[in-house]
Amino acid sequence: MRELGSRRTSWALGWSVLAFLYAPLAVMAVFSFNDSDFTGLPFQGFTLRWYGMLLEDDRLLESVWNSVYVALGVVGLSTLFGLPAAIALDRFDFPGKAWFARLVLLPIVLPGVITGVALLLFYMAMHFRLSLYTIMLGQGTGLMCITITEVAARLRRMGRSTEEAARTLGANEWEVLRKVTLPGVMPALIGAMLIAFSISFDEIAVTYLLTGRQNTLPMTLWSLLRREATPEVNAVSTLVIAASVILIVLGTWLSRRGSGEPVAAPV
Amino acid sequence: MSVAAAATPQDRRQLLIWLLPPLLWFTVFMVIPYGMLFYYSLGSTEYMTFKPGFSLANLVRVFRAEPYLSVLLKSARIGAFTAIGATILAYPVAFCLAFHTRSARAKFLIYLLVIVPWWAAYLVKAYAWKTILGTNGIINALLLDLHLIHEPLTLFLYNQFSVVLTLVYIFTPFSILSIYAQLERIPTSIIEASSNLGATTLETLTKIIIPLSIPGVIAGAIITFALATGDFIAPALVGGPDAIMVSNVVINLLGVAFDWPMAASIGIVVIGVGTALISVSQYLEHRAQARF
Repeated sequence: MRELGSRRTSWALGWSVLAFLYAPLAVMAVFSFNDSDFTGLPFQGFTLRWYGMLLEDDRLLESVWNSVYVALGVVGLSTLFGLPAAIALDRFDFPGKAWFARLVLLPIVLPGVITGVALLLFYMAMHFRLSLYTIMLGQGTGLMCITITEVAARLRRMGRSTEEAARTLGANEWEVLRKVTLPGVMPALIGAMLIAFSISFDEIAVTYLLTGRQNTLPMTLWSLLRREATPEVNAVSTLVIAASVILIVLGTWLSRRGSGEPVAAPV
Repeated sequence: MSVAAAATPQDRRQLLIWLLPPLLWFTVFMVIPYGMLFYYSLGSTEYMTFKPGFSLANLVRVFRAEPYLSVLLKSARIGAFTAIGATILAYPVAFCLAFHTRSARAKFLIYLLVIVPWWAAYLVKAYAWKTILGTNGIINALLLDLHLIHEPLTLFLYNQFSVVLTLVYIFTPFSILSIYAQLERIPTSIIEASSNLGATTLETLTKIIIPLSIPGVIAGAIITFALATGDFIAPALVGGPDAIMVSNVVINLLGVAFDWPMAASIGIVVIGVGTALISVSQYLEHRAQARF
């Protein structure tokens, strides 16, 4: 029997915490429909005015595309360099491995601002012009650790027996990689891609320091929020949350479906 | 991990293929920038321009001159309160997920309920608290409506309390996920053994579940602590002058004071603390896994 303690008390506590997590999101959503120029009670009536204003805000729409562009680049970079790093860390031993692992994990615990300052100094020395690409490189470096840890964990769980069996049966290294290792890590890789995408889409600390003339969505929101809090912000927020809910549900469903399948595809 | 022992030239070539690209990447985009950060921390500024040098004066100033040390300590305190608060709020939900959710379907649904607020836009979550706690906010409006107060209270927003509350809100889902992963690892057999031997629920909880989950809980709390300590959005949105944190100071040094060496010195100190924290967290994680 795994149940422990009073079911009712546990759930009462559990649900109140979940309510705490959802109340602010609900507040944002409700006020995005409020027909009043400022966020606050009493409720003045239902309107879609704020959503209409969004569609006319070119700067906002452009920054959404900038964010998608940057996030796709970050996903590409972190897969291209993160996957090999995960394979090297799990499948091989080499001098300085522990330090390499620590270096790779460092961006998780470091404030984004510090990573941003270091990269800014580097860009200035290299005479790079700040642009969406400098943001991409910065975020990519910071978020690579997600791909590395997720894929390495998956590789550890997979073990090596299937790969060794494939080798014994005459597969060369390329075939082992393409037909055993890659299909095996795919769910973790897809999961990591989605996480990297959504963090990049939301990232502000590194971006704040490395941004050029073109802004990402969080930077545009940030300048909106700092100036004046119009209900337009509530409307963007509600849309952003709705979009992330769809992405999350889709992503979780995809990676769950993936992990339920046999670890390796038939060779 | 035994490849090195039997390293054939072919194995070595394989290793190089996998290791070299990421190693180069991290060298160019992390080691060199952090190296430059260190180089800048040794220099000084004159008339707002950087002057190279080899002096530890700036690093010493981080610990000696105001407001740097007190800001660092305040940030750490806010980070610690956040980690503790998020852990306390997260434990019951993680507990329900691990011990009181029967069907896989229900588990999946609750799991989704937890990750949605975690992935919802960061800025939006911080801003939501501004609209709740502000002078025109929901709490004040409710209190005015109930005639409990006659004019809006300002004590909810723009202080350390509002920063901690916002950060706790932001990091609770993460804590739930990390504690849940830990509780899920506790074998059912241990709990059954405990109750068969006559332990009460409270005893099982305090002597089995909580001690077994502690290393993982602390490992998760360290990440929360690190992220909250370095946050600059919550202090800028809901914190007042009293709640300026280390990242805000770094940004001010760069953008307002143009004191790059000082900003770099703070960065170096934070990197040192960060490296130590990762080591502790890795050690705890390792111990937590070794238990079962």
